[in-house]
Amino acid sequence: MADVDILMPSDIAESSTSGSFNRKQHLMSTFEAYRSELDADNERREKLIIISRSITQLSKKLIFHLHRNATSLSTNLKEKCLKEGRLKEREIWINFKKIKDELNTIGSGTSEEAKQGFWRWNRQVSPGLEEYIEALSFLYYLENKSLIPLKVVQKSLSDEDGDPLVIVTPEDYILGMSDLTGELMRYATNALSTGDHQTPLEVCDFVRTVKAHFDGISPQMLYKLSKKQEETTRSLEKIEKVCYALRLRLIEFADKPEVLAMIAKRALEDAADKEERSRDE
Amino acid sequence: MSTHTTTRAQTVSETLSSVIELLENDQNLKKQIRESIEPIDDLSRSAITELNKLHSAPFSQHKEICENSINIISKTQPLWIDVAKLIPESEFYRYQFASGPTMRNLTTSIVLARFILHDELTPSHTISNLLGLQTESTSVLQLSAEDYLQGVIGAVNELPRLSINAVTSQNFELPIKISSFINDIFASYSLLNLRNDALRRKFDSLKYDLKRCEDVVYDLTLRGLTKPRE
Repeated sequence: MADVDILMPSDIAESSTSGSFNRKQHLMSTFEAYRSELDADNERREKLIIISRSITQLSKKLIFHLHRNATSLSTNLKEKCLKEGRLKEREIWINFKKIKDELNTIGSGTSEEAKQGFWRWNRQVSPGLEEYIEALSFLYYLENKSLIPLKVVQKSLSDEDGDPLVIVTPEDYILGMSDLTGELMRYATNALSTGDHQTPLEVCDFVRTVKAHFDGISPQMLYKLSKKQEETTRSLEKIEKVCYALRLRLIEFADKPEVLAMIAKRALEDAADKEERSRDE
Repeated sequence: MSTHTTTRAQTVSETLSSVIELLENDQNLKKQIRESIEPIDDLSRSAITELNKLHSAPFSQHKEICENSINIISKTQPLWIDVAKLIPESEFYRYQFASGPTMRNLTTSIVLARFILHDELTPSHTISNLLGLQTESTSVLQLSAEDYLQGVIGAVNELPRLSINAVTSQNFELPIKISSFINDIFASYSLLNLRNDALRRKFDSLKYDLKRCEDVVYDLTLRGLTKPRE
Protein backbone atom coordinates (compact mmCIF):
# COMPACT_ATOMS: atom_id res chain seq x y z
CA MET A 1 0.00 0.00 0.00
CA ALA A 2 2.90 2.28 0.77
CA ASP A 3 3.89 2.38 -2.88
CA VAL A 4 0.55 3.66 -4.05
CA ASP A 5 0.66 7.20 -5.30
CA ILE A 6 -1.29 9.74 -3.41
CA LEU A 7 -2.21 12.88 -5.24
CA MET A 8 -2.75 15.78 -2.91
CA PRO A 9 -4.18 19.09 -4.02
CA SER A 10 -0.69 20.60 -4.20
CA ASP A 11 -0.66 24.02 -5.75
CA ILE A 12 -4.26 23.66 -6.76
CA ALA A 13 -5.25 26.42 -4.36
CA GLU A 14 -3.88 29.35 -6.37
CA SER A 15 -4.00 27.97 -9.88
CA SER A 16 -7.60 26.89 -9.68
CA THR A 17 -8.97 30.04 -8.09
CA SER A 18 -7.63 32.32 -10.77
CA GLY A 19 -8.10 29.69 -13.50
CA SER A 20 -11.63 28.81 -12.58
CA PHE A 21 -12.58 32.43 -12.13
CA ASN A 22 -11.65 33.03 -15.75
CA ARG A 23 -13.40 29.88 -16.78
CA LYS A 24 -16.56 30.96 -15.01
CA GLN A 25 -16.55 34.39 -16.64
CA HIS A 26 -15.99 32.81 -20.00
CA LEU A 27 -18.74 30.24 -19.51
CA MET A 28 -21.22 32.83 -18.35
CA SER A 29 -20.82 34.88 -21.51
CA THR A 30 -21.07 31.74 -23.67
CA PHE A 31 -24.25 30.71 -21.93
CA GLU A 32 -25.73 34.15 -22.24
CA ALA A 33 -25.44 33.63 -26.00
CA TYR A 34 -27.15 30.25 -25.62
CA ARG A 35 -29.88 31.91 -23.62
CA SER A 36 -30.71 34.35 -26.40
CA GLU A 37 -30.61 31.54 -28.93
CA LEU A 38 -32.95 29.32 -26.91
CA ASP A 39 -35.25 32.25 -26.15
CA ALA A 40 -35.56 33.12 -29.82
CA ASP A 41 -36.25 29.46 -30.65
CA ASN A 42 -38.92 29.22 -27.98
CA GLU A 43 -40.62 32.36 -29.18
CA ARG A 44 -40.69 31.04 -32.73
CA ARG A 45 -41.96 27.67 -31.59
CA GLU A 46 -44.82 29.32 -29.67
CA LYS A 47 -45.79 31.44 -32.66
CA LEU A 48 -45.87 28.46 -34.98
CA ILE A 49 -47.92 26.41 -32.52
CA ILE A 50 -50.48 29.21 -32.33
CA ILE A 51 -50.76 29.46 -36.12
CA SER A 52 -50.97 25.69 -36.42
CA ARG A 53 -53.79 25.64 -33.85
CA SER A 54 -55.80 28.22 -35.70
CA ILE A 55 -55.31 26.22 -38.91
CA THR A 56 -56.73 23.21 -37.08
CA GLN A 57 -59.72 25.20 -35.84
CA LEU A 58 -60.49 26.71 -39.23
CA SER A 59 -60.13 23.34 -40.94
CA LYS A 60 -62.58 21.75 -38.53
CA LYS A 61 -65.01 24.57 -39.22
CA LEU A 62 -64.64 24.02 -42.94
CA ILE A 63 -65.43 20.33 -42.51
CA PHE A 64 -68.56 21.13 -40.45
CA HIS A 65 -69.61 23.67 -43.02
CA LEU A 66 -69.33 21.07 -45.77
CA HIS A 67 -71.30 18.50 -43.79
CA ARG A 68 -74.12 20.97 -43.21
CA ASN A 69 -75.07 21.49 -46.84
CA ALA A 70 -73.06 19.14 -48.98
CA THR A 71 -75.78 16.52 -48.88
CA SER A 72 -78.52 18.92 -49.85
CA LEU A 73 -80.52 17.71 -52.82
CA SER A 74 -80.85 21.23 -54.15
CA THR A 75 -78.04 21.82 -56.62
CA ASN A 76 -78.09 25.54 -55.85
CA LEU A 77 -77.57 25.07 -52.15
CA LYS A 78 -74.89 22.53 -52.73
CA GLU A 79 -72.99 24.75 -55.13
CA LYS A 80 -73.25 27.68 -52.78
CA CYS A 81 -71.90 25.50 -49.98
CA LEU A 82 -68.91 24.41 -52.04
CA LYS A 83 -68.20 27.97 -53.15
CA GLU A 84 -68.22 29.17 -49.56
CA GLY A 85 -66.05 26.19 -48.72
CA ARG A 86 -63.46 27.40 -51.22
CA LEU A 87 -63.47 30.85 -49.62
CA LYS A 88 -62.92 29.29 -46.22
CA GLU A 89 -60.12 27.20 -47.63
CA ARG A 90 -58.36 30.35 -48.85
CA GLU A 91 -58.71 31.86 -45.38
CA ILE A 92 -56.78 28.92 -44.03
CA TRP A 93 -54.21 29.46 -46.77
CA ILE A 94 -53.47 32.90 -45.29
CA ASN A 95 -52.33 31.14 -42.11
CA PHE A 96 -49.92 28.99 -44.05
CA LYS A 97 -48.59 32.18 -45.52
CA LYS A 98 -48.03 33.39 -41.97
CA ILE A 99 -46.00 30.26 -41.26
CA LYS A 100 -43.86 30.96 -44.29
CA ASP A 101 -43.42 34.59 -43.22
CA GLU A 102 -42.33 33.45 -39.79
CA LEU A 103 -39.83 30.98 -41.25
CA ASN A 104 -38.50 33.76 -43.47
CA THR A 105 -37.41 35.70 -40.39
CA ILE A 106 -34.85 33.02 -39.51
CA GLY A 107 -31.21 34.08 -39.73
CA SER A 108 -30.57 36.38 -42.65
CA GLY A 109 -33.82 35.35 -44.32
CA THR A 110 -32.53 33.19 -47.17
CA SER A 111 -34.78 30.52 -48.62
CA GLU A 112 -32.31 27.81 -47.48
CA GLU A 113 -32.63 29.01 -43.90
CA ALA A 114 -36.42 29.03 -44.21
CA LYS A 115 -36.38 25.49 -45.55
CA GLN A 116 -34.00 24.39 -42.82
CA GLY A 117 -36.39 26.02 -40.34
CA PHE A 118 -39.38 24.30 -41.85
CA TRP A 119 -37.92 20.90 -41.08
CA ARG A 120 -36.76 22.06 -37.70
CA TRP A 121 -40.24 23.19 -36.69
CA ASN A 122 -42.09 20.53 -38.61
CA ARG A 123 -43.53 18.95 -35.47
CA GLN A 124 -45.14 22.25 -34.50
CA VAL A 125 -46.66 22.77 -37.95
CA SER A 126 -47.79 19.27 -38.86
CA PRO A 127 -50.94 18.91 -36.67
CA GLY A 128 -52.55 21.87 -38.44
CA LEU A 129 -51.29 20.68 -41.79
CA GLU A 130 -52.84 17.26 -41.32
CA GLU A 131 -56.22 18.73 -40.42
CA TYR A 132 -56.04 21.06 -43.40
CA ILE A 133 -55.28 18.20 -45.79
CA GLU A 134 -58.30 16.36 -44.43
CA ALA A 135 -60.57 19.35 -44.99
CA LEU A 136 -59.14 20.11 -48.41
CA SER A 137 -59.46 16.53 -49.60
CA PHE A 138 -63.08 16.43 -48.41
CA LEU A 139 -63.84 19.62 -50.29
CA TYR A 140 -62.12 18.22 -53.35
CA TYR A 141 -64.08 14.99 -53.09
CA LEU A 142 -67.37 16.87 -52.97
CA GLU A 143 -66.35 18.98 -55.96
CA ASN A 144 -64.91 16.17 -58.09
CA LYS A 145 -66.11 12.92 -56.51
CA SER A 146 -62.52 11.84 -56.55
CA LEU A 147 -59.29 11.64 -54.63
CA ILE A 148 -57.16 14.76 -54.53
CA PRO A 149 -53.66 14.06 -55.86
CA LEU A 150 -50.65 14.96 -53.71
CA LYS A 151 -49.57 17.45 -56.36
CA VAL A 152 -52.84 19.35 -56.05
CA VAL A 153 -52.47 19.50 -52.26
CA GLN A 154 -48.98 20.92 -52.68
CA LYS A 155 -50.24 23.40 -55.26
CA SER A 156 -52.95 24.61 -52.88
CA LEU A 157 -50.19 25.20 -50.34
CA SER A 158 -48.00 27.26 -52.62
CA ASP A 159 -47.73 31.01 -53.03
CA GLU A 160 -48.59 33.07 -56.11
CA ASP A 161 -45.27 32.16 -57.74
CA GLY A 162 -45.82 28.46 -57.16
CA ASP A 163 -43.23 28.22 -54.37
CA PRO A 164 -44.39 25.96 -51.55
CA LEU A 165 -45.50 27.67 -48.34
CA VAL A 166 -44.99 24.43 -46.49
CA ILE A 167 -43.79 21.08 -47.81
CA VAL A 168 -46.37 18.30 -47.95
CA THR A 169 -44.73 14.91 -47.52
CA PRO A 170 -46.27 11.62 -48.67
CA GLU A 171 -46.63 10.84 -44.98
CA ASP A 172 -48.73 13.96 -44.31
CA TYR A 173 -50.82 13.17 -47.36
CA ILE A 174 -51.48 9.56 -46.45
CA LEU A 175 -52.42 10.40 -42.86
CA GLY A 176 -54.76 13.10 -44.17
CA MET A 177 -56.45 10.66 -46.56
CA SER A 178 -56.87 8.22 -43.74
CA ASP A 179 -58.79 10.89 -41.81
CA LEU A 180 -60.82 11.65 -44.91
CA THR A 181 -62.44 8.21 -44.76
CA GLY A 182 -64.03 9.14 -41.42
CA GLU A 183 -65.54 12.28 -42.91
CA LEU A 184 -66.82 10.30 -45.88
CA MET A 185 -68.53 7.85 -43.55
CA ARG A 186 -70.42 10.75 -41.99
CA TYR A 187 -71.13 12.14 -45.42
CA ALA A 188 -72.54 8.81 -46.64
CA THR A 189 -74.76 8.47 -43.59
CA ASN A 190 -76.03 12.03 -43.98
CA ALA A 191 -76.70 11.44 -47.66
CA LEU A 192 -78.89 8.52 -46.77
CA SER A 193 -81.13 10.69 -44.65
CA THR A 194 -81.82 13.04 -47.54
CA GLY A 195 -82.67 10.11 -49.78
CA ASP A 196 -79.52 10.37 -51.87
CA HIS A 197 -78.93 6.72 -52.63
CA GLN A 198 -76.06 7.01 -55.04
CA THR A 199 -73.62 8.66 -52.65
CA PRO A 200 -73.31 5.86 -50.07
CA LEU A 201 -72.52 3.36 -52.81
CA GLU A 202 -69.91 5.63 -54.34
CA VAL A 203 -68.34 6.43 -51.01
CA CYS A 204 -68.23 2.76 -50.13
CA ASP A 205 -66.30 2.00 -53.29
CA PHE A 206 -63.92 4.85 -52.65
CA VAL A 207 -63.20 4.06 -49.00
CA ARG A 208 -62.68 0.40 -49.87
CA THR A 209 -60.03 1.33 -52.41
CA VAL A 210 -58.27 3.62 -49.93
CA LYS A 211 -58.32 1.03 -47.15
CA ALA A 212 -57.05 -1.70 -49.45
CA HIS A 213 -54.07 0.40 -50.50
CA PHE A 214 -53.24 1.49 -46.98
CA ASP A 215 -53.41 -2.10 -45.74
CA GLY A 216 -50.36 -2.66 -47.92
CA ILE A 217 -48.28 -0.17 -45.97
CA SER A 218 -46.23 -1.87 -43.26
CA PRO A 219 -46.61 -0.46 -39.74
CA GLN A 220 -42.84 -0.06 -39.49
CA MET A 221 -43.02 2.37 -42.36
CA LEU A 222 -45.77 4.52 -40.93
CA TYR A 223 -46.68 3.61 -37.40
CA LYS A 224 -49.30 6.34 -37.02
CA LEU A 225 -51.22 4.92 -39.96
CA SER A 226 -51.68 1.48 -38.43
CA LYS A 227 -53.71 3.05 -35.62
CA LYS A 228 -55.76 5.09 -38.06
CA GLN A 229 -56.43 2.02 -40.17
CA GLU A 230 -58.48 0.58 -37.31
CA GLU A 231 -60.67 3.66 -37.44
CA THR A 232 -60.94 3.41 -41.22
CA THR A 233 -62.00 -0.22 -40.93
CA ARG A 234 -64.75 0.73 -38.50
CA SER A 235 -65.91 3.53 -40.82
CA LEU A 236 -65.97 1.19 -43.78
CA GLU A 237 -68.02 -1.37 -41.88
CA LYS A 238 -70.59 1.28 -41.07
CA ILE A 239 -70.77 2.37 -44.69
CA GLU A 240 -71.13 -1.23 -45.82
CA LYS A 241 -74.01 -1.84 -43.42
CA VAL A 242 -75.75 1.25 -44.76
CA CYS A 243 -75.22 0.03 -48.32
CA TYR A 244 -76.53 -3.43 -47.46
CA ALA A 245 -79.79 -2.11 -46.08
CA LEU A 246 -79.98 0.35 -48.93
CA ARG A 247 -79.54 -2.28 -51.63
CA LEU A 248 -82.27 -4.52 -50.23
CA ARG A 249 -84.71 -1.68 -49.99
CA LEU A 250 -83.86 -0.30 -53.40
CA ILE A 251 -84.86 -3.64 -54.84
CA GLU A 252 -87.95 -3.94 -52.69
CA PHE A 253 -89.32 -0.45 -53.29
CA ALA A 254 -87.89 0.35 -56.69
CA ASP A 255 -91.17 1.91 -57.78
CA LYS A 256 -91.95 3.89 -54.59
CA PRO A 257 -89.30 6.55 -53.94
CA GLU A 258 -91.24 8.18 -51.07
CA VAL A 259 -91.25 4.93 -49.12
CA LEU A 260 -87.55 4.57 -49.75
CA ALA A 261 -86.81 7.96 -48.26
CA MET A 262 -88.76 7.12 -45.13
CA ILE A 263 -87.10 3.76 -44.65
CA ALA A 264 -83.70 5.24 -45.20
CA LYS A 265 -84.35 7.72 -42.46
CA ARG A 266 -85.28 4.98 -40.05
CA ALA A 267 -82.13 3.03 -40.94
CA LEU A 268 -80.11 6.08 -40.16
CA GLU A 269 -81.68 6.46 -36.73
CA ASP A 270 -80.95 2.80 -36.04
CA ALA A 271 -77.34 3.29 -36.99
CA ALA A 272 -77.06 6.31 -34.71
CA ASP A 273 -78.53 4.31 -31.83
CA LYS A 274 -76.12 1.49 -32.35
CA GLU A 275 -73.19 3.82 -32.47
CA GLU A 276 -74.19 5.33 -29.19
CA ARG A 277 -74.63 1.96 -27.60
CA SER A 278 -71.23 0.74 -28.73
CA ARG A 279 -69.72 3.93 -27.37
CA ASP A 280 -71.42 3.38 -24.01
CA GLU A 281 -69.96 -0.10 -23.85
CA MET B 1 -72.47 3.65 -64.21
CA SER B 2 -70.04 0.74 -64.12
CA THR B 3 -67.52 2.05 -66.67
CA HIS B 4 -67.54 5.45 -65.06
CA THR B 5 -66.92 4.00 -61.62
CA THR B 6 -64.19 1.74 -62.89
CA THR B 7 -62.16 4.59 -64.33
CA ARG B 8 -62.60 6.60 -61.17
CA ALA B 9 -61.47 3.68 -59.04
CA GLN B 10 -58.49 3.31 -61.34
CA THR B 11 -57.52 6.95 -60.91
CA VAL B 12 -57.83 6.64 -57.15
CA SER B 13 -55.70 3.50 -57.26
CA GLU B 14 -53.05 5.14 -59.37
CA THR B 15 -52.91 8.22 -57.17
CA LEU B 16 -52.55 6.10 -54.04
CA SER B 17 -49.98 3.75 -55.54
CA SER B 18 -47.78 6.62 -56.62
CA VAL B 19 -47.94 8.26 -53.20
CA ILE B 20 -47.16 4.98 -51.46
CA GLU B 21 -44.14 4.64 -53.70
CA LEU B 22 -42.97 8.09 -52.65
CA LEU B 23 -43.50 7.13 -49.02
CA GLU B 24 -41.38 4.03 -49.52
CA ASN B 25 -38.59 6.13 -51.01
CA ASP B 26 -38.71 8.47 -48.03
CA GLN B 27 -38.65 5.60 -45.57
CA ASN B 28 -35.80 3.90 -47.38
CA LEU B 29 -33.73 7.04 -47.14
CA LYS B 30 -34.44 7.25 -43.42
CA LYS B 31 -33.33 3.66 -43.06
CA GLN B 32 -30.15 4.29 -45.03
CA ILE B 33 -29.32 7.28 -42.86
CA ARG B 34 -29.91 5.28 -39.69
CA GLU B 35 -27.65 2.54 -41.02
CA SER B 36 -24.93 5.01 -41.97
CA ILE B 37 -24.83 6.17 -38.36
CA GLU B 38 -24.44 2.68 -36.90
CA PRO B 39 -20.64 2.47 -37.41
CA ILE B 40 -20.35 5.87 -35.70
CA ASP B 41 -22.30 4.54 -32.75
CA ASP B 42 -19.90 1.59 -32.60
CA LEU B 43 -16.94 3.95 -32.29
CA SER B 44 -18.84 6.06 -29.80
CA ARG B 45 -19.34 3.01 -27.63
CA SER B 46 -15.64 2.13 -27.85
CA ALA B 47 -14.81 5.63 -26.66
CA ILE B 48 -17.17 5.21 -23.73
CA THR B 49 -15.62 1.83 -22.89
CA GLU B 50 -12.23 3.48 -22.87
CA LEU B 51 -13.43 6.32 -20.65
CA ASN B 52 -14.90 3.84 -18.21
CA LYS B 53 -11.34 2.93 -17.28
CA LEU B 54 -11.04 6.34 -15.60
CA HIS B 55 -12.90 4.93 -12.63
CA SER B 56 -10.40 2.14 -11.94
CA ALA B 57 -7.08 3.06 -13.54
CA PRO B 58 -4.37 4.85 -11.55
CA PHE B 59 -4.50 8.56 -12.22
CA SER B 60 -1.13 8.45 -13.96
CA GLN B 61 -2.99 6.77 -16.83
CA HIS B 62 -5.85 9.24 -17.03
CA LYS B 63 -4.19 11.35 -19.70
CA GLU B 64 -3.59 8.35 -21.93
CA ILE B 65 -7.14 7.05 -21.50
CA CYS B 66 -8.63 10.40 -22.47
CA GLU B 67 -6.32 10.82 -25.44
CA ASN B 68 -7.21 7.32 -26.61
CA SER B 69 -10.90 8.00 -26.44
CA ILE B 70 -10.55 11.26 -28.36
CA ASN B 71 -8.51 9.43 -30.99
CA ILE B 72 -11.27 6.85 -31.33
CA ILE B 73 -13.79 9.64 -31.77
CA SER B 74 -11.77 11.36 -34.49
CA LYS B 75 -12.09 8.16 -36.48
CA THR B 76 -15.76 9.04 -36.97
CA GLN B 77 -14.78 11.94 -39.27
CA PRO B 78 -14.85 10.03 -42.58
CA LEU B 79 -18.04 8.27 -41.47
CA TRP B 80 -19.83 11.58 -40.97
CA ILE B 81 -19.04 12.38 -44.61
CA ASP B 82 -20.97 9.25 -45.58
CA VAL B 83 -23.93 10.40 -43.49
CA ALA B 84 -23.77 13.89 -44.97
CA LYS B 85 -23.93 12.51 -48.51
CA LEU B 86 -27.32 10.96 -47.79
CA ILE B 87 -29.00 14.05 -46.34
CA PRO B 88 -30.53 16.44 -48.88
CA GLU B 89 -29.57 20.11 -48.69
CA SER B 90 -31.37 22.02 -45.88
CA GLU B 91 -33.06 18.85 -44.58
CA PHE B 92 -30.75 18.23 -41.62
CA TYR B 93 -33.52 18.60 -39.07
CA ARG B 94 -35.75 16.18 -40.95
CA TYR B 95 -33.29 13.42 -40.11
CA GLN B 96 -32.02 14.74 -36.80
CA PHE B 97 -33.90 11.98 -35.00
CA ALA B 98 -31.20 9.65 -36.36
CA SER B 99 -28.08 11.75 -35.75
CA GLY B 100 -29.07 13.65 -32.59
CA PRO B 101 -28.59 10.90 -29.97
CA THR B 102 -25.23 9.97 -31.49
CA MET B 103 -24.03 13.56 -31.46
CA ARG B 104 -25.11 13.95 -27.84
CA ASN B 105 -23.20 10.80 -26.81
CA LEU B 106 -20.08 11.92 -28.62
CA THR B 107 -20.34 15.34 -27.01
CA THR B 108 -20.57 13.65 -23.62
CA SER B 109 -17.39 11.64 -24.20
CA ILE B 110 -15.41 14.55 -25.60
CA VAL B 111 -16.44 16.90 -22.80
CA LEU B 112 -15.53 14.33 -20.17
CA ALA B 113 -12.16 13.51 -21.73
CA ARG B 114 -11.20 17.12 -22.27
CA PHE B 115 -12.24 18.08 -18.76
CA ILE B 116 -9.74 15.54 -17.41
CA LEU B 117 -7.08 16.68 -19.86
CA HIS B 118 -7.50 20.45 -19.78
CA ASP B 119 -9.86 21.23 -16.89
CA GLU B 120 -12.19 23.10 -19.26
CA LEU B 121 -15.62 22.86 -20.79
CA THR B 122 -15.11 22.04 -24.45
CA PRO B 123 -16.92 24.61 -26.61
CA SER B 124 -19.38 23.45 -29.20
CA HIS B 125 -17.24 24.46 -32.18
CA THR B 126 -14.29 22.41 -30.89
CA ILE B 127 -16.54 19.37 -30.78
CA SER B 128 -17.75 20.06 -34.33
CA ASN B 129 -14.10 20.24 -35.38
CA LEU B 130 -13.21 16.98 -33.68
CA LEU B 131 -16.12 15.30 -35.46
CA GLY B 132 -15.12 16.88 -38.77
CA LEU B 133 -18.46 18.62 -39.13
CA GLN B 134 -17.04 21.90 -40.36
CA THR B 135 -15.71 20.79 -43.70
CA GLU B 136 -17.36 21.42 -47.03
CA SER B 137 -18.38 17.80 -47.47
CA THR B 138 -20.19 17.77 -44.11
CA SER B 139 -21.74 21.23 -44.24
CA VAL B 140 -25.26 19.76 -44.19
CA LEU B 141 -24.59 18.43 -40.67
CA GLN B 142 -24.46 20.48 -37.52
CA LEU B 143 -24.17 20.07 -33.78
CA SER B 144 -27.28 21.88 -32.60
CA ALA B 145 -27.27 23.94 -29.40
CA GLU B 146 -29.82 21.56 -27.94
CA ASP B 147 -27.70 18.47 -28.60
CA TYR B 148 -24.57 20.17 -27.30
CA LEU B 149 -26.24 21.37 -24.10
CA GLN B 150 -27.69 17.92 -23.43
CA GLY B 151 -24.41 16.19 -24.20
CA VAL B 152 -22.54 18.38 -21.71
CA ILE B 153 -24.90 17.39 -18.93
CA GLY B 154 -24.33 13.76 -19.88
CA ALA B 155 -20.65 14.28 -19.06
CA VAL B 156 -21.49 15.94 -15.76
CA ASN B 157 -23.66 12.95 -14.83
CA GLU B 158 -20.50 10.80 -14.91
CA LEU B 159 -18.61 13.02 -12.48
CA PRO B 160 -20.08 12.10 -9.05
CA ARG B 161 -18.98 8.48 -9.55
CA LEU B 162 -15.60 9.61 -10.76
CA SER B 163 -15.20 11.84 -7.72
CA ILE B 164 -15.94 9.02 -5.29
CA ASN B 165 -13.69 6.57 -7.09
CA ALA B 166 -10.90 9.10 -7.16
CA VAL B 167 -10.96 9.20 -3.35
CA THR B 168 -10.84 5.40 -3.23
CA SER B 169 -7.69 5.44 -5.30
CA GLN B 170 -6.29 8.26 -3.17
CA ASN B 171 -6.49 10.99 -5.75
CA PHE B 172 -7.59 13.90 -3.57
CA GLU B 173 -7.04 16.53 -6.19
CA LEU B 174 -9.61 15.37 -8.72
CA PRO B 175 -12.72 15.72 -6.48
CA ILE B 176 -11.85 19.38 -5.95
CA LYS B 177 -11.38 19.96 -9.66
CA ILE B 178 -14.68 18.21 -10.32
CA SER B 179 -16.58 20.16 -7.73
CA SER B 180 -15.38 23.49 -9.06
CA PHE B 181 -16.18 22.43 -12.64
CA ILE B 182 -19.73 21.35 -11.81
CA ASN B 183 -20.26 24.56 -9.91
CA ASP B 184 -19.33 26.61 -12.95
CA ILE B 185 -21.50 24.53 -15.22
CA PHE B 186 -24.47 24.67 -12.89
CA ALA B 187 -24.17 28.46 -12.69
CA SER B 188 -24.00 28.65 -16.49
CA TYR B 189 -27.05 26.49 -17.08
CA SER B 190 -28.94 28.51 -14.50
CA LEU B 191 -28.74 31.41 -16.94
CA LEU B 192 -30.97 29.58 -19.43
CA ASN B 193 -34.74 29.94 -19.58
CA LEU B 194 -35.70 26.34 -20.05
CA ARG B 195 -39.04 24.98 -21.18
CA ASN B 196 -40.49 21.78 -19.84
CA ASP B 197 -38.56 19.55 -22.18
CA ALA B 198 -35.76 17.00 -22.22
CA LEU B 199 -33.11 19.64 -21.58
CA ARG B 200 -35.01 20.86 -18.54
CA ARG B 201 -35.15 17.37 -17.08
CA LYS B 202 -31.43 16.94 -17.70
CA PHE B 203 -30.78 20.25 -15.99
CA ASP B 204 -32.74 19.08 -12.97
CA SER B 205 -30.33 16.17 -12.64
CA LEU B 206 -27.41 18.61 -12.35
CA LYS B 207 -28.44 19.68 -8.85
CA TYR B 208 -28.02 16.16 -7.50
CA ASP B 209 -24.68 15.71 -9.21
CA LEU B 210 -23.51 18.99 -7.75
CA LYS B 211 -24.53 17.95 -4.25
CA ARG B 212 -22.88 14.54 -4.44
CA CYS B 213 -19.61 16.08 -5.62
CA GLU B 214 -19.68 18.71 -2.89
CA ASP B 215 -20.30 16.02 -0.28
CA VAL B 216 -17.08 14.32 -1.35
CA VAL B 217 -15.14 17.57 -0.99
CA TYR B 218 -16.71 18.04 2.43
CA ASP B 219 -15.57 14.59 3.53
CA LEU B 220 -12.04 15.40 2.37
CA THR B 221 -11.99 18.81 4.07
CA LEU B 222 -13.15 17.25 7.32
CA ARG B 223 -10.15 14.95 7.25
CA GLY B 224 -7.66 17.61 6.24
CA LEU B 225 -7.11 16.02 2.86
CA THR B 226 -7.66 19.15 0.81
CA LYS B 227 -4.55 20.94 1.98
CA PRO B 228 -1.20 20.52 0.23
CA ARG B 229 1.17 18.15 1.95
CA GLU B 230 4.12 19.67 3.82
